[in-house]
Amino acid sequence: MSGPAGGTAENKAPGRGNMPARSEILLSGFGGQGVVLAGRCLGTAATRAGFEATMLVSHGTETRGGYVRSQVVVALGEIDSPVVEKPDFFLALSQAAYNRFKPLAAFGLTLYDSQMVSPDGALPGRDLGLPARELARSRLGDELAANMISLGVILRLLGGVPLAEGQRAARELSKRGGETNVLALELGWNLDLG
Amino acid sequence: MLRLFDTGNRSVTEAAILCGLNFYSGYPITPATEIAENMSRRLPLAGGYYVQGEDETAALHMAVGASLGGMRAMTSTSGPGYVLYADPYGWAIGGEIPVVILNAQRVGPVSGITGAPGQGEFYLSRYPTHGGNFETIVLAPEGVREAFAMTVEAFRLSERFRTPVTILADQLVTDGWEAFEVPETREELESLGLPLPDRASHPGPDFYPDNTLIDVPPVVLGRGTGGACSDWTPTREGYDTEEIGEQMRHARRLVGKVLDNRGLIDRSESVCLDDDPRLVLVSYGSPSRTVRRAVREARARGLKVGAVRLRSLWPFQDKLFQAPGRDHLVVELNCDGQLVREVSRASGREARFLGRCGELPKVSELLEAVTLLLDGKKIDGGYWAEKHGGVFR
Amino acid sequence: MDRLFHKFLRARKIPSTACSGCGLGQVHKRVLLALERLDLGPDDVVWGTGIGCAGRQTFNTWRGDNFAGTHGRVYAIAAGLRVALGPGKKIVLTAGDGDAFGIGLKHLLNCARRNVDMTVVVADNLGYQSTGGQFGITTPRGSVTDSSPYGLNEPGWLGGGLDVLEILKAAGATYLARHLSLDGASSVESLVMALENPGFSLVHFIYPCVTHFGAVTLGERDKGKILGSFRAMFAGGGKGGPTDRDDGRGGETDGGGRKDPGPQAGSGPVSGDPAFRLKRGTYHDGRGLRPEFAASLIAWTKNVREGAGR
Repeated sequence: MSGPAGGTAENKAPGRGNMPARSEILLSGFGGQGVVLAGRCLGTAATRAGFEATMLVSHGTETRGGYVRSQVVVALGEIDSPVVEKPDFFLALSQAAYNRFKPLAAFGLTLYDSQMVSPDGALPGRDLGLPARELARSRLGDELAANMISLGVILRLLGGVPLAEGQRAARELSKRGGETNVLALELGWNLDLG
Repeated sequence: MLRLFDTGNRSVTEAAILCGLNFYSGYPITPATEIAENMSRRLPLAGGYYVQGEDETAALHMAVGASLGGMRAMTSTSGPGYVLYADPYGWAIGGEIPVVILNAQRVGPVSGITGAPGQGEFYLSRYPTHGGNFETIVLAPEGVREAFAMTVEAFRLSERFRTPVTILADQLVTDGWEAFEVPETREELESLGLPLPDRASHPGPDFYPDNTLIDVPPVVLGRGTGGACSDWTPTREGYDTEEIGEQMRHARRLVGKVLDNRGLIDRSESVCLDDDPRLVLVSYGSPSRTVRRAVREARARGLKVGAVRLRSLWPFQDKLFQAPGRDHLVVELNCDGQLVREVSRASGREARFLGRCGELPKVSELLEAVTLLLDGKKIDGGYWAEKHGGVFR
Repeated sequence: MDRLFHKFLRARKIPSTACSGCGLGQVHKRVLLALERLDLGPDDVVWGTGIGCAGRQTFNTWRGDNFAGTHGRVYAIAAGLRVALGPGKKIVLTAGDGDAFGIGLKHLLNCARRNVDMTVVVADNLGYQSTGGQFGITTPRGSVTDSSPYGLNEPGWLGGGLDVLEILKAAGATYLARHLSLDGASSVESLVMALENPGFSLVHFIYPCVTHFGAVTLGERDKGKILGSFRAMFAGGGKGGPTDRDDGRGGETDGGGRKDPGPQAGSGPVSGDPAFRLKRGTYHDGRGLRPEFAASLIAWTKNVREGAGR
């Protein structure tokens, strides 16, 4: 699978490797799933790999159906708008987040945790269920590593940002389970997406 | 240069420390809390002092007090704390004491939504205290990287003009994340003019001179100069006076030192103005980034539009809006229309308005508005726009 | 005063603009006497003032460095200044009852909590006199003032079982004293202890306002007679007379050598609060018992920095 081509003029500009000039990534889930950490790892890895990166974090504070959203933009040059309006990648780790942001699914690839999310079959665009939580439990003994498995998938599909930079960032930024997160990234990166 | 991916709260902290910050006094408030947290972690390691005030009023008074003792000082807050700064803000203006203030605007009024951006303190930053007879200096970063640079500029301007400088940021600037560079080597530091020279101390006896010059050292107490600083109208030596002549002289200096030297303050960015487009979008802070993207996309579609971004807000840069035949669409993170009133005044024609509350306008919304306006149609600009007509002439 | 004046004060500010007969000058003089006792000069002291009679009349009188703060905030300013000044310089603040105990109380209490090295001299004229004589935080209940024409219907912090110094003590102040402005040597003694204390000290002087509180509330413009009334008001209804118990020097003379007029119960319309007994002299002495704010911040910061190997 190659990196998706966005619809804007800028996205059609030549990029690096598989990567377009600007990639928009929307990471979402509920609090405690490590959505922001995944975004920080992505942004840090991209920054060190020579890209520009931005991230906006927002929280829905409702106790039920709450969400955490991390809007990440990675680009070769200056980033004007940090807002993810047409995500090349949309990751949903929870049903509430999926439901809330699925109107944005039309623009790129939707990734969801197949254990946590029942996908909406009527959505336009491509989608892909990831057994992230299941793999995190069975292979790493830690369900919380689902975020990093998912990020490993995104990193590979994104192209341009090396796995090693993602792992370095995960090691530095994880308050706990740093080595587990390093393994999880690799697991995601190598996942057979069929 | 060390490349970091971090928040505006972090970039401001790092910049302030590189400026030689000695004293930070804060009070936790979303979305500026992380500046306080970062300061508490980083400042002691750099030999500076972190203090938490009992409230924002105390926090700024303490910072100004430390500055009066010769330290480089700053504080940070959001709207609910910025209003509580009124007292010490005025004191620092009148006493001509340097201090740097960051306001991470969130949507309001009052507590509003703590984690959502707003731009409700545009005018408050012009009139942050009572009494009049002053000009304020206000800078407005659009993102994390620029917040770093503007913090350095704020310290420099504050010292040179002997007055508080507000960095009027918003929640997306302070809590937003971005790649930015921090100088590491001596050469890199010096290229930014860092660290700033040590604070100077006025030798007296004319601490409040009868002119509008800048680069006059401020009063520093404890140096045996017989320095005096007060909330009262000062004589040249700093005595409290009730002479109207002295009051006029004081006001002339406070206003004049800023306006006469505004070339050092004025900052703006032009986007696609070379071919003199009829419609120009105007913004400051984080909305400027979606505006810039929208203008570029509009240009790619053959729509002749441009943008002006204000990087300094006060004193207001009237000249930017006086090109003949131009119409302005002002984009703000409020629905009452603040910047739009100044643009209308400066340009002499009523500007159009697109206000959003609590989140950035989307590029797609801006493109739609631009298209409608160029077609002579009305836009949904919010209540203020309805009252003032949404039609592009 | 001539000797003190030449040594410590600025010619430009003398004569003072205070009302003739105002008791503030006595308080001001006590502070200068204490500084002289400690051999402190203009370069050793930074002098700050609050808003109101006490602040305005003393601002920039000091021959050294001066500042006047916003109303009630001079304590917070002084806390920041304290860090910048470092040890070796004294901070003296002169302020009134409204500035210190009213609008500024929160900042005052937090300076006490932090034990910031400063000597706050509260010159209390029992209300808001510079604005024309309204009741304040320490005005006795029942007082007729310009804003309580039918008598003050709320308690002050000097009566009804309440004492503002008790609040400051609980907040962590390490030296507290109270005097009438006519107290001579005993009040200088208290001020010396306050100035020597490396921490938060407050000396509370009750002094006569002849123009408003005296004239309107007590019906009396004579400073001596007003002071006499104070003793009646604040000494359990006038019984027992002066209670300068800490040093047993009742019957002080003031700087002019006049004799303390003693209690004159009932000389005004306010008969005082029998529950409140004015104790003149040291109120609380906890000098050296708590770490000082700036010194400990500086030492702590140094430790953090060295701990991190920088």
